[in-house]
Amino acid sequence: MGEVIRRIDKPLQVNPFRLSQPMGAALAFLGIDGCMPLMHGGMGCTSFTKVFLTRHFCEPIAIQTTAVTDVTAVLDGGDGSIVEAVKNITAKVTPSLIGLHSTGLTETKGDDLRGIASQIDYPMVYVHSPDYEGGLESGWGKTTCALIEQLVAPCQQGRRNKVVLLPHVSLTPIEVEKLKEFIAGFGFEVQALPDLSTSLDGHLGEKQSALSSGGITVEAIRELADAGLILSVGDSMRLSAEALLKKNATLCHRHFPHLQGLEATDQLAACLLEFSHRELPPAGVIRWRKRLQDTLLDCHFALGQTRVLLVGEPDFLSGAAQLLREAGSQIRLVLSSVDSPQLDRLTADTVLVGDLEEAEKRQQDFDLVVGNFHTEALARRFGKGLVLRGFPNWEVVGNQLRNDQLYEGGSAFLCEVANAAERSRHGH
Amino acid sequence: MAPKPKIRELLQESACSHNKSRSGACNAPKPGATTGGCAFEGAQITLFPFADAAHLVHGPITCLGASWETRLTGTSWPGRDLTQMGFTTGISTNDVVFGGEEKLRSAIDHIVHHYAPEAVFVYSTCVTAMIGDDIDSVCRKATEAHGLPVVPVHAPGFVGSKNLGSRLAGEAVLSQLIGTREPEKQTPFDINLIGEYNVTGDMWQYTPLLEELGIRLLSTLSGDGRVASIRTAHRARLNVLVCAKSLVSLPRQMQERYGIPFISVSFYGKRDTSASILAIAEALGDAELVQRARALIAREETLLEQKLEPYRKIFQGKKAVLNTGGNKSWSIASALQDLGLEVVATSVKKATEEDRYKARQYLGEQGVLMTEPGQEQARIIDQTGADLLLAGGRSLFTAIKKRIAFVDVNQEKKKSYGAYLGLLNLAEDLNNALHNPVFKNVARRAPWEK
Ligand code: SF4
Repeated sequence: MGEVIRRIDKPLQVNPFRLSQPMGAALAFLGIDGCMPLMHGGMGCTSFTKVFLTRHFCEPIAIQTTAVTDVTAVLDGGDGSIVEAVKNITAKVTPSLIGLHSTGLTETKGDDLRGIASQIDYPMVYVHSPDYEGGLESGWGKTTCALIEQLVAPCQQGRRNKVVLLPHVSLTPIEVEKLKEFIAGFGFEVQALPDLSTSLDGHLGEKQSALSSGGITVEAIRELADAGLILSVGDSMRLSAEALLKKNATLCHRHFPHLQGLEATDQLAACLLEFSHRELPPAGVIRWRKRLQDTLLDCHFALGQTRVLLVGEPDFLSGAAQLLREAGSQIRLVLSSVDSPQLDRLTADTVLVGDLEEAEKRQQDFDLVVGNFHTEALARRFGKGLVLRGFPNWEVVGNQLRNDQLYEGGSAFLCEVANAAERSRHGH
Repeated sequence: MAPKPKIRELLQESACSHNKSRSGACNAPKPGATTGGCAFEGAQITLFPFADAAHLVHGPITCLGASWETRLTGTSWPGRDLTQMGFTTGISTNDVVFGGEEKLRSAIDHIVHHYAPEAVFVYSTCVTAMIGDDIDSVCRKATEAHGLPVVPVHAPGFVGSKNLGSRLAGEAVLSQLIGTREPEKQTPFDINLIGEYNVTGDMWQYTPLLEELGIRLLSTLSGDGRVASIRTAHRARLNVLVCAKSLVSLPRQMQERYGIPFISVSFYGKRDTSASILAIAEALGDAELVQRARALIAREETLLEQKLEPYRKIFQGKKAVLNTGGNKSWSIASALQDLGLEVVATSVKKATEEDRYKARQYLGEQGVLMTEPGQEQARIIDQTGADLLLAGGRSLFTAIKKRIAFVDVNQEKKKSYGAYLGLLNLAEDLNNALHNPVFKNVARRAPWEK
């Protein structure tokens, strides 16, 4: 275990890759069927978020703004613009839920979201997500928590064969789908919250829709506590799991920091065998485990000599680092957008909360970068190998189709990184 | 240091013909029914292409985090391209409570020390405006300490739209930079290009032609721009405003202050490009220059016609429906017509009176001006037998249902459609779309669908 630097003494961020809490909140609301995320702040925050997510997912993004102005910011405690926004939204569409989330501006004003939401006669969940703290992960996590606290009906007992999956924000739509399939393969009924697997992927024909479509239904969220097992993936989802446990004390909970690599997937499989009282997983799972073993060996030579820089959100970093380590990659530097307990668990020489200027300073330490679109310029400038992962990823297509999780996704990811490392070693 | 610009005054912009219909009330965005960026974004779009300046966003991560490295604004600046870098104070809870001025001061120091820019633009945003950081004073002191312009840009998002932000950015440039340095030399044909951001290298499609005529770009706001040259902009003979109503207050004020006349032009399509080149030459008031311009236009148009020849046959008789916003509703229409397509309908939803007028001019009496394009376009495709839909991604499915070709006009552009040569790029893209079987292929029914 190397050093973890949680704070760099610097008055600014240069080439930042941290993303905002309200964006994470909006994204979580988009994982609900028929939801309209309503961002409480200046219209620009919403516009940036909409454009950002549209470009990332290549899907239309439903989101509205309370359009706070310099005038209303002073005169209005938020009630005016929120009530007005709900009126204008519901005049045009009928969302199953309005997902109210704040920004730095309205938190600075100190708007009482809870008070306002309670006065509005429309299904609504509110969450405080100022952008001067936290990041994408915490915005997503807080929103999941709020959805559970404000919507889920308490119950005393649950159905043993129902599993609630709480996936962190960096899991792509296909990854959530693969996790659900994996769990279902052991005979469980699975609900994911939030569920981007069905809402931000594969939507030909519904592009005109003004609301999110697909995703978990509000009805299904209300009944979430009627389950046997909670599986939280990523440390940002721990609070959500705890919130759900409060709704039903008989629920079992298993936490996974991530689900990448042989060891983590083995742990999930063991857990599912235990709860399903089965001896063996489905045949396909056994086959994929063998393939991953094989891939680990096939890639170990290329990866063993590769010094890696990982950039992204903590829950993503912990999985990617583990998987690459299993094949022997040297994780030289990990750059995290925000602080997280995950950072202490990472096997890396240096772990740092910071910006891409820090990576530039340390560019001699690595040969290959795994990170988002903003790392491309860095990789090109210094002639490093590059594997694009994380938000945003604007310039390549197929973000929704890339699966790095479990035995199957792990195999694909390792091959991709190993090939990229070889290519860059040979100067392509 | 100049006081903060008077926002209300800017909203009452007089040189703006479309302004009559836009009185105060419509400037307030409607909660729950608003799309479009904030004033900060407008300011950023207007100033970011200055590649020799650093752009420091004083606010929480939202404002810069989702907006840097989003536009390809080409620059020939030989140094490190600061337009593709992001700087933000990324203020935290602590700064909100105790103020962010100290942090801002050190951030400017860090930038000057590590990146040696020609100037630093400091953008205020909603939160830092709300907590009342005195950005002016920080910038004034930094200007003195570092001996280079540190320019405050007061366009926090919540004061209004992108357009207003552009004006506020223009205001900052006018009050802080223009007229603060003398050019090394002057020519009778010095112009400023205003409102051209050189996205995908658009301006490089026509500036070589201007240069060939002996017209010199003294400065630009701000495509391929330099702070060092915008400081000398007051010595230009003519201001040329490119497709940007939002910045019209700047040349108007420069006319009042420095007696520089201005014209509005567009370099979209053949006719507009030719007309614009001629208009610039005429405005510079030199008979010989006008003659040279006419000769150059004739040469370029002939050259273009030759290159377009193979496309002409393909586009002949093809009909297009255009669903996009702002000046694109007529400028793209004009370019399509230059290529020989018939534009049967264009969207004027949310268009200004001026845009509407121009759209009518280009489309003629037969053309449909759609006010609710989302609902109308499918019907119009049926009625006119259109072959091509140019619209934003949301309309893709309409094209698929109607089994016609589609071009996403709102997508972040990758190549230039500007001026004469850009028209060839557009022609090539349209040709590819018209011949792409994908729209029909994906419309296939699955075997299990009734
Ligand atoms: S509306 Fe305000 S807080 Fe939001 S992006 Fe614009 S300037 Fe930043």
